Amino acid sequence: MLFRPSRRQIISGMTALGALAGTRTAFAQRPKQIVIPEGEFTPLPIAISNFVPGTPGDTEVGMGVTQVITNNLKRSGLFAPIDQAAFIERITNPDAPPTFQSWKQINTQFVVLGRMTRQGDGRLKAEFRLWDVNTQQQLAGQQYQTSPESWRRIAHIISDQIYERLTGEKGYFDSRVVFVDETGSKERRVKRLALMDQDGANVRYLTKGSDLVLTPRFSPSTQEITYMEFGQGDPRVYLFNVETGQREIVGNFPGMSFSPRFSPDGQRIIMSMQQGGNSNLFVMDLRSKSMTRLTDTPAIDTSPSYSPDGSRICFESDRGGKPQIYVMGANGGGAQRISFNEGSYSTPVWSPRGDYIAFTKQGGGAFSIGIMKTDGSGERILASGFHNEGPTFSPNGRVVMFFREPGGNAGPSLFTVDISGRNELRVPTPGFASDPAWSPLLS
Amino acid sequence: MASVALHVIVLGAVMLSFSTRALEMPAEDSVPVDVISEDNLAKAMAGMKTGKKENPKPLVEKVAEVKPMDDAVGKISEKPPVVTETAPKPLPKVEEKPVEKKPDPPKVVEKPKEEPPKEEPKPVEKKPDPVKPDPIAEAIKKEEKKPPPKPVQAAKPPEPQKPRIVERHFDQSQIAALLDKRDPTRQAATGQTMNSNAALGLSKGTAADNSATWGSMFQRQVERCWKKPYGGIESQRPEAVFAIRLRRDGTLEGNPVPEGVPATPFLKVYQESAYRAILECQPYKLPEAMYEEWKYFAPVFKEKV
Repeated sequence: MLFRPSRRQIISGMTALGALAGTRTAFAQRPKQIVIPEGEFTPLPIAISNFVPGTPGDTEVGMGVTQVITNNLKRSGLFAPIDQAAFIERITNPDAPPTFQSWKQINTQFVVLGRMTRQGDGRLKAEFRLWDVNTQQQLAGQQYQTSPESWRRIAHIISDQIYERLTGEKGYFDSRVVFVDETGSKERRVKRLALMDQDGANVRYLTKGSDLVLTPRFSPSTQEITYMEFGQGDPRVYLFNVETGQREIVGNFPGMSFSPRFSPDGQRIIMSMQQGGNSNLFVMDLRSKSMTRLTDTPAIDTSPSYSPDGSRICFESDRGGKPQIYVMGANGGGAQRISFNEGSYSTPVWSPRGDYIAFTKQGGGAFSIGIMKTDGSGERILASGFHNEGPTFSPNGRVVMFFREPGGNAGPSLFTVDISGRNELRVPTPGFASDPAWSPLLS
Repeated sequence: MASVALHVIVLGAVMLSFSTRALEMPAEDSVPVDVISEDNLAKAMAGMKTGKKENPKPLVEKVAEVKPMDDAVGKISEKPPVVTETAPKPLPKVEEKPVEKKPDPPKVVEKPKEEPPKEEPKPVEKKPDPVKPDPIAEAIKKEEKKPPPKPVQAAKPPEPQKPRIVERHFDQSQIAALLDKRDPTRQAATGQTMNSNAALGLSKGTAADNSATWGSMFQRQVERCWKKPYGGIESQRPEAVFAIRLRRDGTLEGNPVPEGVPATPFLKVYQESAYRAILECQPYKLPEAMYEEWKYFAPVFKEKV
């Protein structure tokens, strides 16, 4: 086969060569290098201008979208949105570049402009542009169409775009959290399964509260949830489809099954099954319904969690006396203990990024949330106190959500914290809340 | 009570007067410090054969003065008796010559054109050597005439009797008189015309490197604008290198030229953040005297190790 380059290809090739030659001459003289090693991390100053309404009726949704984006970026701790009262320029045409000088004056590095328009077919069109004030370049620009009810999702998607463009990492705003909603007095607590956006909006209840539910877990690839429910008999592991509302028991075997979690491809569920005084880990294929035993020890093995590539499993076991974290291959066998510090460790969960394992640590009279590298090194406590438990990672592995019980008569509530240990924030929920589990990105 | 009140007043006054004073950072001295390898040093010293032939002025701290020659002759003739008694005499002569020459050799040897200025100091300095009186003889004289410390005065004919007495008799109280009172051998570099600046860079050597000075000034200024992205703890030791050209007023002559294409989205964002910082923080205030050094250089943004 003969390779015949088109005119366009030749030109682009020549341009590339020219650029290469340009860089070569630029560095031919080997200029003196001056190292700039410091540079503190500071939240990026960003100005989010109100989304301009396409028609007079779109003012409200435009402001709503602006609000959600501002809130998302601010809560991430990586951005410092500038108060709109400080803005000098009032944007009327989001298609034109902003007056950079007036934005530079208020010390912002980036400007977000946008427009919301209700179209003839009733659908909502959202457009946005992200501008760099210093280089005067457009860094991102996108438009979306959706049904009017999903305007919040649009705002989350735009937030993710901005986050990804300016941090170099995937965002996590367009995601949801399933948790156990708790109402009523301490003695007669009603526990319902609930679903909400990651920022606490759009709460939906998935169960009625007649039965006790525990440990809901999102599938990393599908919109399904697995959880444990105490019905009439032994507690059982259930599978719940968020979109269809369908519910089914995972397997039907004697004894108690608990602490379920999905495999990364969403095709299997790994869980604990009670056998006498002990419990062992089993994995069940959701299609063939076949069960495979992974551990066989006279101890309590529980809380298994897959690595994102599905090759390894971390879990909690008291085979050494106290509960500790172990890692083994996905097919079982060769488990190695990775937690060696003071105290006992439980509820390990592998980060979707693969770099860390989050855990609950009990010791020194406190329950703490922490992370460690997958070989057990670099342990870092993110939150500590009377009772912190049940860590779950954001889809990008940058944020950990957990629940905290303050003690006394008050109930638990949800918190997020950056994996650096900074920026701890309470997540708004309608009532008490525990056992959160973060979904993958929706889009 | 009164003393308590007094203490309170005094302490309060002290605290106030201290707190109102602004803390000022002392200006940093320009100290070019750089660690270089032996190899680099050898290269720097070797110079460049192809370098432009320049005729730099030698360092001259004072204009050489011509000293009288008559005395010397007369004095030398009188010396012999003293010479035999003390060993140190031959030493000063040997010592002084190389010491006097030291400041000159590098410049003089390389520059044949420089001969005239060099020749002059030589005779001037050589001649005084013989003139210089024997330390002991001088010491003795000083004992008698305490006020005049100048060696020139030693040239006056000594009295023959005194030296003999001193030879034999060691008097502890006179040790001070035995001290060497000659002028220090390190003398100001002399020449025909004054030039208080040592030549900084010659075309035959490498230029003076003051990058430690202006580099740290640039670093402090650009860091104020650098909002680096937060890549978590495990971020992959990012580094962004640019080549930038600055005008004399500290503004950028053109946009910074990034070196290399970032391999990951994070590295791209990292490079962009540094690029933004360079643009945002101009103009840079750097010492104008070193403009030749900072008009073109490569800032390297990296994580502190």
